[in-house]
Parts: sequence; structure tokens; C-alpha cells
Amino acid sequence: MLQTRLLKNIDWVFIGILVVIMAMSLFVLRSASANIFQDPYYFVKKQLLWIVIGFGLMFFVASFDYIHLKKLSKYIYAANIALLLAVFVFGHETKGAQRWISLGFFDLQPSELAKIAIIVSFAVLLSKRQGELEKFWDIIPSLIFVGIPMLLILKQPDLGTSLVFVAIMLGMLWVGGANPRVLLMMLAIVLVLVLFIFGLLYFATDGFQKPPEDLPLPLPLKPYQLLRLVIFINPNMDPLGAGYHVIQSQVAIGSGGIWGKGYLQGSQVQYNFLPEHHTDFIFSTVGEELGFLGGSSILVLYFLLFWRMVKIAKEARDMLGTLIVVGVTSMLVFQFFVNVGMTMGIMPVTGIPLPLLTYGGSGLLSNMIAMGFVLSVNLRKQSLLF
Amino acid sequence: MQTTTILMRRRIACLFFGAIAVFFLLLLRLAYLQFAMGSELQLKAEQLRMREVPIAAKRGTIYDRNLRKLAISISADSVYALPPEVNYSGKAEEIARTLAPILEIPEEKLLEKITAPRSFEWIKRKVDFEKAQKIRQLDLPGIKVVEESQRFYPKDTLAAHVLGFAGIDNQGLEGIEITRDADLKGVPGNIVVEYDAKGRELPQAVHKYNPPVDGYSLVLTIDETIQYFAERELDKIMSGPSKPKGATIIIMQPKTGEILALANRPGYDSNNYGQFDPQTWRNSAVSNTYEPGSTFKIITTAAALEEGVVTPDDRFYDPGYYEVGGHRIKCWRSYNPHGSQTFREVMQNSCNPGFVEVGLNMENKEKGVFYKYIRAFGFGTKTGIDLPGEAVGIMINEKDLKTINIATISIGQGIAVTPIQLITAVSAVANGGTLMEPQIVREVIDSDNNVVKSFKPKAIRRVISEETAEIERDLLESVVSQGTGRNAYIPGYRVGGKTGTAQKAGPGGYQQGKYVASFIGMAPINDPEIVALVIIDEPQGYPYQGGQVAAPVFKAVVEDTLRYLGIVSQYTYEEEKNQGIKVEPKLISVPEVVNLSPEEAVKVLKVEGLKAEVKGEGKVVTSQTPAGMAKVETGTKVILNLGEADQSLIPGTVTVPDLTGKRIREVAELLSAMGLKLNPDGHGKVVRQEPIPGTKVQAGQEVKVFFTEEEETAETLGP
Repeated sequence: MLQTRLLKNIDWVFIGILVVIMAMSLFVLRSASANIFQDPYYFVKKQLLWIVIGFGLMFFVASFDYIHLKKLSKYIYAANIALLLAVFVFGHETKGAQRWISLGFFDLQPSELAKIAIIVSFAVLLSKRQGELEKFWDIIPSLIFVGIPMLLILKQPDLGTSLVFVAIMLGMLWVGGANPRVLLMMLAIVLVLVLFIFGLLYFATDGFQKPPEDLPLPLPLKPYQLLRLVIFINPNMDPLGAGYHVIQSQVAIGSGGIWGKGYLQGSQVQYNFLPEHHTDFIFSTVGEELGFLGGSSILVLYFLLFWRMVKIAKEARDMLGTLIVVGVTSMLVFQFFVNVGMTMGIMPVTGIPLPLLTYGGSGLLSNMIAMGFVLSVNLRKQSLLF
Repeated sequence: MQTTTILMRRRIACLFFGAIAVFFLLLLRLAYLQFAMGSELQLKAEQLRMREVPIAAKRGTIYDRNLRKLAISISADSVYALPPEVNYSGKAEEIARTLAPILEIPEEKLLEKITAPRSFEWIKRKVDFEKAQKIRQLDLPGIKVVEESQRFYPKDTLAAHVLGFAGIDNQGLEGIEITRDADLKGVPGNIVVEYDAKGRELPQAVHKYNPPVDGYSLVLTIDETIQYFAERELDKIMSGPSKPKGATIIIMQPKTGEILALANRPGYDSNNYGQFDPQTWRNSAVSNTYEPGSTFKIITTAAALEEGVVTPDDRFYDPGYYEVGGHRIKCWRSYNPHGSQTFREVMQNSCNPGFVEVGLNMENKEKGVFYKYIRAFGFGTKTGIDLPGEAVGIMINEKDLKTINIATISIGQGIAVTPIQLITAVSAVANGGTLMEPQIVREVIDSDNNVVKSFKPKAIRRVISEETAEIERDLLESVVSQGTGRNAYIPGYRVGGKTGTAQKAGPGGYQQGKYVASFIGMAPINDPEIVALVIIDEPQGYPYQGGQVAAPVFKAVVEDTLRYLGIVSQYTYEEEKNQGIKVEPKLISVPEVVNLSPEEAVKVLKVEGLKAEVKGEGKVVTSQTPAGMAKVETGTKVILNLGEADQSLIPGTVTVPDLTGKRIREVAELLSAMGLKLNPDGHGKVVRQEPIPGTKVQAGQEVKVFFTEEEETAETLGP
């Protein structure tokens, strides 16, 4: 299936960056999980296995021509909705949210797959409607299309992932040619909504000085979600409770300095002052132990990755290919920003992992599938001379 | 086949700029956290994993002015738990069961403490040495013993209001313990141990021992002995027939402002302060405000004398009251008005109308001048004494001041002062007119007795002139010798003072039967070494007046204090006679002073209470009138004729005086003035002497004097 002609197109820089990020993730994970189990390599070994499978999956997906998605998109979309609904029936609860379906050997997180499903099916939808996104009414079908799975995820509840959907949709609509004014209007609505929520919280918490208890208006958010928003503004409201994470993470990063405290030497990480330091807060581990040097290297790596992906999007053979890559890029940039921002206190805590670097099979595999689609577009880029 | 359009490319570029923006935003934040906030957050990270086991510093000693210990620190053992270690051992219940009987704490409570969600928890502070030793030997996991220091006041209740007390953490809570806490407390040390987030001590953790720095010690101005005199008398009055609600004594050195004693009743034991009503902790001497009543007339008089509106010999007429703007201010003896009297007598009688007149005259001369003096004497402001809770007192706002207020303030009503303010102000009269800052701490010293800080007497301002102060002291002496303060008279000393009896104000006016009786006085009056204030709060029944209740207390305390301080008595019969008290006019034997130098002769006569007039010129007294051995009244003038030495007498020959009926002190002074040695035998008054009076002897000769207790016979010399 994979013809040698296509292999000539492969973006080795893109692959190289991916490999470096993966290697980096194993390196950091060794330190970040050193104090969890007796075997300091337990998590490293598991993650290595996921990485190998991940690369396999990526190449496997890349071998299919994404043009087939045009026919498959309806089924993908339907299967996705079904899976999300299944979570409410078969899913099990962890930490107060129903997100997982147990498959025996593997805990499937349908919301992770849903992101990819939406990217590809929405790309198909948009590529058909090219040039027909001028008026507000033209956007409505798109809103419904993305809105249904998004609301299902919001119901789990998983606010973070549903916000990723907003980012994906806006990014794809933008490149898909939607009227900027319409998009600006949507952005304005989101902004007003956010300001409204914070304003409400301000009055309900005496200026972010206490947990939100009696809101003047009921909001479709859980109490812990509201609490996180309050903590985002004022982590010192509850330094040993809700604000603990945010404060400990900033202490970890800040105490790293230029050179860091040294590999395996971070007191915040190694002595467990910083929870979740091998998952959501892995960037804090880098910041503490490897300092500004390590932290900025990670940032640069991601920046290079995005640059290659944008390049692939531009060189895509068709609108569909461009939109798929743009969707994946939007997703990654948003998650990257929210996660790293969260560890440094410029974003609220939402439970969004750092893509590709955070420990965890489900997240890594779905991201690698997404990379597979990017690679698929890359392999079939427009050949100028043939 | 569709390809990407120009528009799309531009929009993709746009999206990429978004990614670049995100990248730089995160990079900036990273740099900010790690560079700008780096050191701060580094410190925070260190604090997070370093746990401190505190080691208390030894609190400094508090000494009296003669370095006698008033408060010391003794070591005591405290037991603490490291709950994470207890939990880690898995033997929490067992530990609780073992410790419960030793520490006499219920098992459940103990278990709760040793498993508390903290890294450090005190189990019991300051336990007996044997118990601590037992626990040390048991060596239970997570249970440790540390040596702490505990405050101990060896004299229990003595000077409790000056010293105050320190709490369980050796923190000053009251008295000088709190005002000088910074000097006394020292710097606590600690053992720093590195822990992880779950509170487990790390295997290769940092252990750092920071030794504590002991606190400085204080040397107070208080004299333990004088403080004892004051408290002894307070206890006496409190348990006496007048059963007052409370009482206060302050004794001050007027020249320096140093406080020699300060005591209140009810009192408490600094060692067991918790067992006393917190009301007893209150240091009334500095925290209470009261209407000083007649004692305040000292201030009125000082201002009036200084302003020249009155002299001691000005005449006043007391019809029993003084009318001011429709109000009648009655004299305390309105039932029998004092009538015509000099100002000296006004003072002696504590006659209200006289003082009201003086106060109003002052105000008529210059508006506001009286208030100016009141403020200059330190009323209306804190004295700045180094004790907590000092009150300011209450003064009517100058704008609202009416004539009637001036009138009442002149007699010490309508103004509220603190005891410490009053004694500080009166000390200014005693020391010649300078207001001193009251001082309670002399020095701060370190553990090697090196002086760290030394507090010098601090003059605040001159309030009145030396002359005014002297005139007023003379008036105050007459109050004691001839006036309302008779009960404060101390034989052998010149004492001055003023009584005060103020009705207590309450809701709705002055309260029937509730008085503050007080006496403030000084001695010796010609050059006062001490000023003492006695305040008796609500003496029950009769008598309740300051002259009856407070003055005897003053006498008892001051008499002992003067003796203790070694202040030579001024046993002058002349003065005693002039004052017309205690000592009846008595005939004495004129000493033979022939052949003495005029200086020596005058000195000898003075010791005997006689005046001398020197006539002629020469080196020695050749004759005297009246002649030696003649019986005369004290104060009689003796004329001394000078000339060349009588050749028939060997130079240095003196005549032995008549010592009969004299006490040992006087005998000693007289003989030493004549150059004779004393060889006493027995005690009491002189009944016999060898050689007999009139014998001419060489200077340096010994005179054997026989004393006896039969006082009555010796007393019957007078007419």
C-alpha cells in the first residue's frame, strides 16, 4: 500500500522532532516516576511500549489515503457519538467523572478518540462547504455538528476536553474560509461568557476570597470546576486544598532557576510536594530539575513541531488534507498552551494533559493516530513536478 | 482537484502566528518564574521540606537593683510527637497505651495527638524530670523529649505587677516580661530535619542544629527590700479593719525618677498566674485613673507659687464654702469653717475654698495658665514608664473648660490621673522642679554581665523653679508637722506630704461611702531622697480619710525605707519643737563649749538644738552665755565670746557635756562633734555617764555612757 514514491515525500524533520519529544518524555518520566514504585523504570517501560505501539499506529494510519475519509466520515461520526453515549452506560467513574470504558487490557477514553473523529469528519464537512461560510446561518450546521459530541463530553463532565473542541472548530472554520466577522462574533460570545462567569464568581466569593457557594445564578458547571476558576485568580485562598497544586507547581518551576536542581534532584517532585508530576504536571518536573534550559527546550521542541505541521498543512494536496492538519494543529496548540500555562499559573487547572509528553496510553495513542493523519497528508502532498 | 488557495495559505500563516504568540507567552512566563521569582520560590521550596523542631532560648533573669533575682529560668523537659514517624511505625495505639499512665493523659486524647495530621505536635510541655527520664528511656518511635526552660519567680507574689509573667512558650504576657520581651526572650534555636510531603524523615536528610541564643537579663530600679516593705504594709492594710477594695504603693527616687517599689493589692502569684482572676493582674499603679482629690493641691500650689499669685503668708478667709457660678464648693470642714488663715494654714488644713480661690486667681491672671502647668507636670500624657497598659488619665477638653471646672480641678476633682503620673509630678517638686521620666529598668545585661543597654535618668522638662519647689516643700512639711498629715510624721526625719480623700465618681455622680484615701509625701524634706504614694481604694467604714488611713501606711513604709537606705536622721529637737508635735518643749543642759573653735562650738550647739551667736574675734571660745550645764529650752540662743586661748588650759581640752536622757544616736553625734569617743553600755536613754558632765578632758578621751529602757522617767523633763 505504502508506495516508495510516497516515502520520498516524508517530512523527516517532523518525524525527528516526534522522536526527540518521545525520548524526552521517557527521560523525564524516569525521574518523575522514580518515587512511585519500587521499580523506578516501571512507568518508563510501560510508556516505551505505548510509544512503540504509537509509532506503529501512526505509520499504519499514514498508509491509508485520507481521501477515503470522504466516504467513511458519516460512519466515523456515528460511531463516535455511540461511543460517547456508551460511556454513560458502561463507563466507570474516577475522580468524580465518567470518562473511561474498561476493555480489560486497556482503559479506553472515548473523549480522546472523539477529538480525532471530529477533526476528520468536520474536515470532510468543511471541504464540501468551501466558500459557503459567509453568513452566520452558514455556520449553524458546523456548530451543531461539533456541538453534539462536545456537549456529551461536557456532561461527563470534562470541561477541558470540550474546550479543546471549541479550539478545533474555530481553527478549522478559520482556515476553512469562514467570514472573519462571524468568527470574531463567536469569539466575542465566548469572551463575554467567560467574563460573565468570572464576574459572577467575583461577587459570590467576595473578590475570590472564599469558595463559591451561593451563586446568584445557577451555572452549568460543577462546584469543583468553579472552585478551580476561583483558585486560578487567587491560589492562596486555599493553599493546602484547592490551591495546593497551582502553588506547588509554581514553586517547583520557580525554584529550578536557570540550570535546574539536577536530574532526579527536584525536591518538589522527588518528595511528592507536587502531585501528578508524571502526568498533568510533568512540565513542572522539567522546570524544577532541568531549569530554564530544560523548560525552554521543551517549548522550542513543540514550537518546531507546530512549524512542521503548519508546513504540511500548506503543502497539502487538497482542502481536506489542509483542514485535517489544521484541526490536529489547533488541538495540539490549544492543549499545549492550556497545560503548560496551567503549570505556571497563567491558565486555570482543567485536567488537560501535555500531548505526547504526559504519561498515559490512551492519550498518547490517540495523539499518534492524529499524527498518522498528518503524516498521511504529508505523504500525499501536492507533487509540483509530476 | 482542489488545492489550497491564497486565502487559506494566509490564514494558515495567521494560525502559525498564534502558535508563535503562545510559544513566546509561555517562554516569558517561564523566564519570569525562574529568574524574577526564582530565589523567592527557591526559599519556599526549602521551607516546604525543612521541618523545625524548636529549641527554646533561655529567657533572661530579672534582677532588682542590687542584683537579687526576681525572675529566673529553670530548665524543664517537654515531650513532643512526630506523628508521621508514629504512623510509620504502625504502633500508634501501643505508644498511646504506654504513655497515657506516665503523662496522665487519657489514652484516646493521646492517640489523637500523636497521630495528628501535622509534622510536629507537643504532647505535654514542662513535665517532671522523672517522667521525662522514663520517656527518654522508653525510646518510643516518633516520641521525643526536648529540654525547654520554664519561668520561675522565686519570690512568688513579690513585685508581681512589675514583673508580670511569661507564658508556656516563654513569651512575655504581662508586666516587664512583656514590655522587655524583645530583650529577655533571646533567639530560639532549632533542629532542622528534611522531610518529604508525607512527613517522613528522609534517610539521608539534612540535620542541622541551630543553637538558641539566650535572652538578655534585666536589672530593675526596684529594690527588693523596699518592695517588701511596701507589700508588707499593703497586706497589713488589706487585712486590717478598713478592708479596702484595693491599695497601691509607689516609691520613687525623685532625683532620678527611678522606681524603688511599686505594688498593688489585690495581687497574684506570677508562678501560678492562671489560678488568679485576670482582674488581679491589672497593674493599678499605671492602669487605673482616679480623681486625686486633695493630693492634687500640690500641683495647684506649685503653679500658683510659680506664677506669683500666692505666697505662704497671704491671708484667706474660709466661710466654709466658695461660690463659683452658682455652685457652692464646700470645704471638708464646712461644719466648722477655718475662718481667717494664711495660705500656709490653708495648706495645713487642706482647705478647699482657699485652693479654689488660688486656682481661680491664677486663671484670672492669665487664661489657661493652670492647665499649662497641669500638662507640664505630665498629666494628660503617658509618663512613658516601661510597663504595659499605662493609662493617659482624663482631662476636660480645654475648649470646654468652664470656671467651675477650674475651681474643682484646683482641689483635685474633675480630673483623673494615674498613680504613676501623680508621683512623677510630685517628684518634680521634691527634686527642685524638674519632671523626670519614671524609670523601672536600669540596665540590660548579657549572660556574662556585660552591659548591653543602660538607661540613664531622663529629665523631661523643668516645670517650676528651685525656689518655688523649696517654698512648697516647706509648706508640705508643715502639713505633716502641724496639719492634716500628722500621722505621716516619722520621728527623727523631716517629712512633707499631702493627704487626699476623694469621693469616687460613679454613674450618676459621686457615690456615698466610696472613697479613695491617699497620701503622697517625701523625706527628708530639705533634700528628698524618696517620694512615696499610698492609695487606699474604698476603705470600709470610718475612718476613711487619707490622713487617717493612708498616712500611717506611708509612715510605716517610709520609716523603714529611710533607715534601710541609711539616710541619717535629722534628730533636731528645735525643729520638732517648732513643729509642736510629738516632742514637748524640753529643757536641756547647755554644753560647755569653752576652748573649742567657733566652728566646733556652733556644731555642738546645733546638735543639741541650740542656736549660736558668735561675738568678737579669736581662735577659740573664751566664754559662753548661758554657761555650761545651765538648763534651757531647745532653740535658746547661746552667745559665744571669742578671744585668744586661755593659757591656763591645755589646747584641745574640752568639757564633757551632759548626756542624760539622750538616745544613742544623739549621744554619738554630740560626742563626735566634740572630738570624744563613745563607749556605750545597754540601750534606751542615758542614765549615767563617766566622766560626769563638766569634767574637762583632753580631746580623744573615751566617755562611758550607760543606757536604760526606763523611758518614762527620762521623758518627764518638760514642764
